[in-house]
Amino acid sequence: MASAFRDTVLRSGFLVAALALAATAVQAVPSYARQTGQNCVACHVSFPELTPYGRWFKLSGYTIGVRQVVPLAGMALVGVTRTKNNDDGTGTNTPVTARDGLPAFNQASVFLAGKATDNVGAFVQYTFAESYATDGTSVGHSGIDNADLRWVGRMGNESADVVKLLYGLTVHNNPTAQDVWNSTPAFGFPFTASPTAVGPTAATQLEGALAQQVAGIGGYGFYDRTWYGELTAYRTADGLFSVLRHGQDIGTPGGVARLKGYNPYVRVAYNKEWDAHSLMLGAFGLRVKRYVDNTDPASGTDSYTDGGVDAQYQYISNPHTFTAQARYIRERQNYNGSFAQGLTANQKDTLHTTSVKATYYFEHQYGVTVSRFSSGGTTDALLYPSGAVSGSGNGGPASRGYVAELDYLPLQNVRLMLQYVAYSKFNGGGTGYDGVTARTPGDNNSLFFNLWVAF
Amino acid sequence: MVSTTVDRQARSLGFIALATWAVAVLIISPTVRAQEKSPATDKAAQTVAASICSSCHGPLGVSTSPLFPNLAGQQELYLAAQLKAFKAKTRGEADAHDYMWGMATLLDDSVSAGLAHYYAGQPPAQGIPGNAQLTARGKVLYERGDASHNVVACATCHGEGAEGTSIFPRLAGQHAAYVVRQLEVIQHKFRDSPIMHGVIKDLTVDDMKSVAQYVQSK
Repeated sequence: MASAFRDTVLRSGFLVAALALAATAVQAVPSYARQTGQNCVACHVSFPELTPYGRWFKLSGYTIGVRQVVPLAGMALVGVTRTKNNDDGTGTNTPVTARDGLPAFNQASVFLAGKATDNVGAFVQYTFAESYATDGTSVGHSGIDNADLRWVGRMGNESADVVKLLYGLTVHNNPTAQDVWNSTPAFGFPFTASPTAVGPTAATQLEGALAQQVAGIGGYGFYDRTWYGELTAYRTADGLFSVLRHGQDIGTPGGVARLKGYNPYVRVAYNKEWDAHSLMLGAFGLRVKRYVDNTDPASGTDSYTDGGVDAQYQYISNPHTFTAQARYIRERQNYNGSFAQGLTANQKDTLHTTSVKATYYFEHQYGVTVSRFSSGGTTDALLYPSGAVSGSGNGGPASRGYVAELDYLPLQNVRLMLQYVAYSKFNGGGTGYDGVTARTPGDNNSLFFNLWVAF
Repeated sequence: MVSTTVDRQARSLGFIALATWAVAVLIISPTVRAQEKSPATDKAAQTVAASICSSCHGPLGVSTSPLFPNLAGQQELYLAAQLKAFKAKTRGEADAHDYMWGMATLLDDSVSAGLAHYYAGQPPAQGIPGNAQLTARGKVLYERGDASHNVVACATCHGEGAEGTSIFPRLAGQHAAYVVRQLEVIQHKFRDSPIMHGVIKDLTVDDMKSVAQYVQSK
């Protein structure tokens, strides 16, 4: 393990040197920075975590600054992952990932991001990503990533020199991608995860299950920088909205989510800012009806009701910055369609997930983050079947673990990250959790080195 | 005998500071005098203040975070000079570079002048009492200086009430953390300020904190 770790670090070093050179040659900053003339730290603690000003900028519809002729920006991520036990345990000498300890390209994105008018702005990300198979082969895939288009209005006080109410409309393609607090899933921690490490199976609908598959049409208001409210309806991103799921596999059963009608999402938050501190206490909820087979509208529907509470605290000063986020989501699953077709063991299941994270940055440059996560819920052997590495022997969704991360930003648009993920429980159990092998949760522990560059 | 020497030093420093102040006001003021203003530019400036500047500097120029200075009640000529320095990139500390260089380039001269006029006319932030011991030491430094460290009384230029005048900024009610940060970057010459470089070159960090606590409490 020690020599493997040394190899990983050495390989990482070469990778860093090569890409740091490339990064310094770029000498550029993303489109919002070009639009406002400000540096990354004005809006971000560390990308994508937003400062109070960053939240205001997003709620202002990305319209602060001067419209750019070509509001484009780019981002690239590459990394190296070392999984603690890369043998899948089936006795067939099959690796969990053939890219273990080797450089792996996460993704490259192009952003079309900026203001169109004083009231209209956009954030549209288009991503090329690489998927790695266990045999070492990889498949490239490109498609739309998070997208958020906004129209914004401002209501002032009597003398019109204080914005009392900032309100707007949003069209986006991932529930909570429109949110401005990083305690919600879409832009929540971990901000970057390994493309090759194994992760727990169970996740709620709000945690990526609908990402880049739906169109959300919503309205929001932020009053007195204190009270935030939002109501959004999600529908399948087809017809006029099909561009919001460009690149998704819509022809294969199970490829993407297909929703029935319009599905409501509500969000409320209390925000307080004082001195160098800011605090948010919030709640959110989503109810979706999802077809069992996305290619067949006659296949019946399952309904999911997600309810969540979240909180965020930030102390942003110089040289010290401290931030923390917490989130709890409980999902009630009603498998009306799937249960009738023998796809689930129960008609009703529950799933809950918890995530807590704390970050410290010194001079916006040196960061350390620790995070604790857990999940649990109803046992359902058909929903969580057994299978080497990623299966569940007891049909349970519970996982538990922590993340420790070190970050270094030599430039504001370059981040070097070393992330360690450790599990004490995985897919419902401990040793032999997958029901097929003697694999332990700790065998999935991973050390991930990543380089992130934005330009 | 010792106190007489110190008094003489203090008087001498006071005279130099006063002379510097007079020369600075006479020479610098006309060059940064606010642009011609009209109701239209005032209105445009008010819109920019409400929709953009307030994001960090707070509604009506009273900010929440000490990363960002209060602008309400600030001296108009000082504000105009700073906007000009941001735009010309001659105010070079990291925070100016990260936050204000770009913002200032978005403003034309008439809106800059309108913003300086607008914020100068807003009611200043209320003083916030801080650590009593630091505030007491800060009061001595502010009113009488410290001849043993070649520190001129701040009141000489910034006024007895710390309300500022002309190009010398209002300090009363300003965030203590912001004042300390500015004293540090000026002392280390990351921020250009020929008058202040000489005045605070020997000011200790503890004394910076003391004087900052005092002006914040005003």
